[in-house]
Amino acid sequence: MIALNISELVKSVFDSPKRLAIPIMTHPGIESIGKTIIEAVSDGEVQFQAIKAIQEEYSPDAATMIMDLTVEAEAFGCRINLSDKEIPSVGGRLVSDQESVEKLEIPSLECARVPQYLKAARLAVEHIGDKPVLAGCIGPFSLAGRLFGLTEIMTATFIEPDVIRLLLEKCSMFLSSYVKEMKRIGANGILMAEPAAGLLSGEMCDNLSSTYIKRIVTDVQDRDFLFVLHNCGNMGHVTQSMVSTGAGGLHFGNRINLVEVLKEVPDNILVLGNLDPVSVFRSGTPGYVIEVTSELLRQTSDHRNFIISSGCDTPPGSPAENMEAFFRAVRLFNARY
Amino acid sequence: MRLIFLELFFIFLNDFYRRQETIDRSGTLFLKGDEMTEILEQLTTCVELGKINKASPYPPALKGQDGADELCKMALDQGIAPDDVLNKALIPGMSRIGEKFSQGKAFVPEMLIAAKAMTAAMKHLKPFFASGEIKRKGVFVVGTVMGDLHDIGKNIVSMTVEGAGWEVVDLGVDVKVERFLETIGRYPDCVVGMSALLTTTMANMESMVKEIRNKYPEKIILVGGAPLSMDFCRKIGASFYSPDPHGAVEFLNKLSA
Repeated sequence: MIALNISELVKSVFDSPKRLAIPIMTHPGIESIGKTIIEAVSDGEVQFQAIKAIQEEYSPDAATMIMDLTVEAEAFGCRINLSDKEIPSVGGRLVSDQESVEKLEIPSLECARVPQYLKAARLAVEHIGDKPVLAGCIGPFSLAGRLFGLTEIMTATFIEPDVIRLLLEKCSMFLSSYVKEMKRIGANGILMAEPAAGLLSGEMCDNLSSTYIKRIVTDVQDRDFLFVLHNCGNMGHVTQSMVSTGAGGLHFGNRINLVEVLKEVPDNILVLGNLDPVSVFRSGTPGYVIEVTSELLRQTSDHRNFIISSGCDTPPGSPAENMEAFFRAVRLFNARY
Repeated sequence: MRLIFLELFFIFLNDFYRRQETIDRSGTLFLKGDEMTEILEQLTTCVELGKINKASPYPPALKGQDGADELCKMALDQGIAPDDVLNKALIPGMSRIGEKFSQGKAFVPEMLIAAKAMTAAMKHLKPFFASGEIKRKGVFVVGTVMGDLHDIGKNIVSMTVEGAGWEVVDLGVDVKVERFLETIGRYPDCVVGMSALLTTTMANMESMVKEIRNKYPEKIILVGGAPLSMDFCRKIGASFYSPDPHGAVEFLNKLSA
């Protein structure tokens, strides 16, 4: 199933009982080209080669980028820990009070590794002609949590709400310019990862995350650019908040019952998810992968707006046989139609 | 006229006895039972709702009122036994919010602000812990495993466990097995908690559990973190896994019962 652009891809989802498969998957590509995670997250060319390798080996229905939730925080000035074996992590808080938040400057798109991620997206757009490219970024509350400290921001939202609102404004202004640039260079959509908002109540998620995301969605989403909001922290309590953003696609983690989600989400919104990246892709056997993939496809077969995916980024070290098993299960399911 | 006077006198007398505060030999004020219950209940509510102190604007409904900090001090100043403050006010407050969390009626921010209120109250109890006047249920040594810098899950668990009456020794993040072993050496009867958010560091847990068990075969080890499961817990030989902090507290409380 080949879709040349995002509107064709979306149309094909709604028009056909066949299932598209768009797992968030770059690490198997990094491993297959013999590169390290540090190289892939630091060099746009390497990341593109990994994305291309995934396309050549498995042919998912769209290309996705590394879910590296440190790029934007690093651009703001956070110290980042890089590892050959694991995705980067943020080394400590950058801001802690009103004064430091007020002084915090919104970075340009030239800062830190941002240009490398733009480069990877641009190369993917230029060279993966037959599939849409979904770029990636972090969500505003998750980014604010990286800058302020995730534990600390949780209580600061109660004690210093004005400080956190100012921080969220700055985060969303940066993210807005980042997403617009991804769109300008030709990406067909964005997968915004906002896992920290899943730790909030529905009402707090509305106020501290979805409100800001909605503004970005309104600015960028059109028939040539799909906004997909990912929240693997959602246990069902923030689904309506995710819907309220207006995102054309919602991507869910493995801790949620996807069948229930499909009943709750309006059927004009794409629902993506949610095979467990750890127990299925990384630690499962090919037989188990086929079994759970087939079962999810069976359970969701009544809903046209479903795209099968991993519940989060497929972890480093996930065996190639498991990836193959996943796509084999999807092909077997689609062969019925 | 005389009857009215007598009636007023009895009302006064009754009120006097109801509100009577006596002073013991050390000069400490003692409250009557119902007043003691009231202050402990207020303290419980402050912990449950995350009212840290008078200055805290949260929750808005209690703005300008005393918080856990002031009420705990007041309770002790007025002669309420420190272990009653801990067991009848602070622990029930954390238990209430923990139950709401498990039922999906409260979320991480509410848990953390409650823990912050608990901590504000606990600082007044420190001298009593130091003197041995009140005893903890046990020692819980917790840390995020080697290579992993994520701490929110570990923080929530450590605050909840402390709120349940345990002494928590928080080793922080990126904790090597040597540090766990050294700390177990200092607290031989402790229970160990390990957290991991990453799939690679989750794999480190297995070797760390093995090394701890080599030296302390009977050591009870709890594991937790987003990518973990009970299957993984069993596979690596850990003692218990809980997807939420309340489950960890229930497990620990059974050990201390």
